[in-house]
Amino acid sequence: MKKILLVIRREYTTRLRKTSFWVLTLLIPLLLAACYALPVYLASRPAKSSVVLVVDETSLFQSSFSNRKNISYRDAGSMDYARRQLDNEACGAILHIPARETTIPTDAFLYSRAGALEPAVRSDIDAQLQRILVNNILLDVHNISQEDYHAITHTNIALHTRDIETGRDNHRQLKTVMALILGLVIFLAIFLWGSQVMNGVMEEKGNRIVEVLASSLRPFQLMAGKVTGIALVSLTQLILWIILTGAAIGAIRSANSDLFELATRQEQMQSLATKGPEAVAQMKALQETASLPEAVKGLAKINFGTIVPLFALCFLLGYLLYANIFAAVGSVLDREGNYSQFILPLTFPLLLPLLLFPLIQASPGGPLAVWLSMIPFTSPVAMMLRLPFGVPTWQAVLSMAILAVSVPVAARLAATVYRKGILRGSAKF
Amino acid sequence: MIRIEHISKSFNSHVALDDVSLHVKRGHIFGLLGPNGAGKTTLLRIVNRILTPDSGSVLFAGHPLCADDAEHIGYLPEERGLYKKMKVAEQALYLAQLKGVPRREAEARLHTWLDRFELSAWANRRVGELSKGMQQKLQFIVTVLHRPELLIFDEPFSGFDPVNAALLKECILQLRDEGATVILSTHNMSSVEELCNEIALLDTSHVVLAGEVDQIRQAHRTNRYKVVYRTETADKAPQLPDYAKTLSVASHCGNTEMLLELSGDGQDANDLIAKLMPQCRIVAFNEVLPTMNDIFIERVKY
Repeated sequence: MKKILLVIRREYTTRLRKTSFWVLTLLIPLLLAACYALPVYLASRPAKSSVVLVVDETSLFQSSFSNRKNISYRDAGSMDYARRQLDNEACGAILHIPARETTIPTDAFLYSRAGALEPAVRSDIDAQLQRILVNNILLDVHNISQEDYHAITHTNIALHTRDIETGRDNHRQLKTVMALILGLVIFLAIFLWGSQVMNGVMEEKGNRIVEVLASSLRPFQLMAGKVTGIALVSLTQLILWIILTGAAIGAIRSANSDLFELATRQEQMQSLATKGPEAVAQMKALQETASLPEAVKGLAKINFGTIVPLFALCFLLGYLLYANIFAAVGSVLDREGNYSQFILPLTFPLLLPLLLFPLIQASPGGPLAVWLSMIPFTSPVAMMLRLPFGVPTWQAVLSMAILAVSVPVAARLAATVYRKGILRGSAKF
Repeated sequence: MIRIEHISKSFNSHVALDDVSLHVKRGHIFGLLGPNGAGKTTLLRIVNRILTPDSGSVLFAGHPLCADDAEHIGYLPEERGLYKKMKVAEQALYLAQLKGVPRREAEARLHTWLDRFELSAWANRRVGELSKGMQQKLQFIVTVLHRPELLIFDEPFSGFDPVNAALLKECILQLRDEGATVILSTHNMSSVEELCNEIALLDTSHVVLAGEVDQIRQAHRTNRYKVVYRTETADKAPQLPDYAKTLSVASHCGNTEMLLELSGDGQDANDLIAKLMPQCRIVAFNEVLPTMNDIFIERVKY
């Protein structure tokens, strides 16, 4: 036991001293925080002023374009004139609506220099074209009032799935997202640290120290120490990720509190709604953030008391199972060998539930989902994919029990392979 | 100290060791010799419990070899290996602790050894930054740091320059004087003659020769003698008896050196000296025993 502790300590301290560990530890929270903050920044970024010249050969749209804060529309008589203006940089884009024999034009062309067109300009023109078409043509022809048209085109029925027992919203969408996140995290975590075990074993084999080590302690002690040491490294990294991501997001939010204030978002949305259909696109973008309180309400309904300990257990047992397998495979491979080809078949059982997620999500209590959460090679991920939808206690207990039993079995088999593998190819006999 | 009894070991269809028995006495330096592929490394790995024999047993200090004995054995494998990214001192202390030495004690011993091998300045550098020779020295230090009763060196001199090889020999002899038993596997025959009390020669999975170095050399004597003499005139060679055959003659600074092989019964060195004395002035006369190198080449059938 003392020797295993020594190996654990070495694995832990040497890995924590590696630059790569800290780069990854800092990079992931920064990336997550960036993913969180970037859409909000982009949405709030002040747009460049643009002038759009409208060459309307149909005479249906002229003078109907409304100027925006950063976009102004001007009529241009001909394409030649407009082209000269674009060449002189007097305008940013030309909107050409060619004449057609039909009453309603079907195509319009927006010319600009490559890369010079702001995405907001394009979406504004698109929205305005639709609005003008509807207002100036369809309403006149069919005699439908603007209010009626708005009422007809803005019907959007929200379908809520509710639990028959409680009559409460069961937040299926949120659960799906949550299941996918949990499943992916478990998969990536086992994959990342499991392959570290494999690399560690191959390193010892490659630099020949394994013979010195094998004369000091039993191969099983070496393997167990390595697997446990890396497990502790992974837990340290996970905890640091959670703390640092929270801190980074908190720092971004407090530094830009105006951007992240939900109340302001909702106000903006209301003011945009009055501006007509062209604001719909912007509204949609805002809806995601505006509906956050709903998501938070949904999250509160999810049983974290079950999810958190089960997640921890699934990760730990799943990691131990796969780390032993990775160690055994690492011991029989040569450093020079192309070991990456072994990674996919090794992790495929873990990937399988993710590939089958649409089926699992459709029927989280169905035979496929249940079987996948019982087979130890797939159960860590499968259980996470089912968990937010609710798993009967007996199934959760049985799944974890099978996984827990399979760990020592895998460790024993892996130790046998490892014992023979570590010295193979390292020296002549 | 260690008794190897009827050990056999095969890898698939290849027989690495076939009924090998050896006895290494406490406080001796035991040379394990043999051509490449004779089974030496396999035998050393069995003594280190890295491999288990198919049959036979190993007794260590009178009891069957067990896991705890690892703390009393130091092994320098032929395939050297250290963690390249670990610091010198940290690595030595880690390996010493794995052999059961408390950290503080290991630190004190390490200090002495690093000084002796002029590595103190490198204690906090990564092993990968060391030259190959320095890594070899560190490998030797980690082998002996836990003061094992049994030291097993597989080709310890490879990669060392003559100065450091001499330092290593001095260390091995000192460790022996302090009570350690040493098994030395090497192809360096001069070091075998210099260091070993006993040897065993392995060839094609069998022990083909075993015993004390001096006795083996005596047993392989070929009745050859070296005579160094002076005569009044350089070209006047002494008359030799019929049973003495001249193998070579060379002259240096007025001395003539002659290698003779005696044949026939009842003739010995005394008789030869008696015949030569009236004819020349004998400067030196000694029996030429075969070297371990000669014996190795003679006994190993390729």
